[in-house]
Amino acid sequence: MILHILNRSPGTSLVYRDTLSAMGPEDRLLLTEDGVLGALTSQVRHFQAVQGRLFALREDLVARGLIGRCDETVQVVDVDGFVTLTEEADKTVSWF
Amino acid sequence: MRYGLLVQGAPYSSQASHSALRFARALIARGHRLESVFFYHDGVYNAARLAAPPQDEPHLIDAWNGLNAEHGTQLQVCIAAALRRGLLDELESARHGKRGHAVESPFELTGLGQLIDLGHEVDRLVTFAP
Repeated sequence: MILHILNRSPGTSLVYRDTLSAMGPEDRLLLTEDGVLGALTSQVRHFQAVQGRLFALREDLVARGLIGRCDETVQVVDVDGFVTLTEEADKTVSWF
Repeated sequence: MRYGLLVQGAPYSSQASHSALRFARALIARGHRLESVFFYHDGVYNAARLAAPPQDEPHLIDAWNGLNAEHGTQLQVCIAAALRRGLLDELESARHGKRGHAVESPFELTGLGQLIDLGHEVDRLVTFAP
């Protein structure tokens, strides 16, 4: 299982499409930095294909005032959870 | 577990350095070992020894130095990326006939081969890019 890390918002970059097409059936996706914008209810449809395997970094949501606007299908993790995700994955791939 | 980080974003330009530092502290707090941080592309500016950010802002360069002092984390800087950006250590400065230097220990100018070695050596290599 690979942990994919995406730091771009689907509203400003199409790299999320490459990310999704590269993901295997067990792989997980963590949204960080401006990528957390993809976790909003209005944006999360872009990540329907990985529902249940989609995570967003709490600190980056809080920094942007978006913690309350995160869609309920997204699993919010803090930086310790980020470390755990890297422990559980065989390797990580960053998309930017 | 043994970790390595690859930082490609310049300090104070993108969030990459801050994200990497936050992740570094978290992984160490969880009992893992951070073997090395490798600075590449604009990330090499993290090694600028004369960086003097305002006192009420995080001092990234000091923070990297702290990781080395407290946890023995290596701070490796891609020499090709650094030299073309004016980030020379004393040896390279003399070799190129320049006055002064911008990089000092514990940051070390090194080659991309070291990054490949790091990728083989550690259990997890995580990239933080701009």
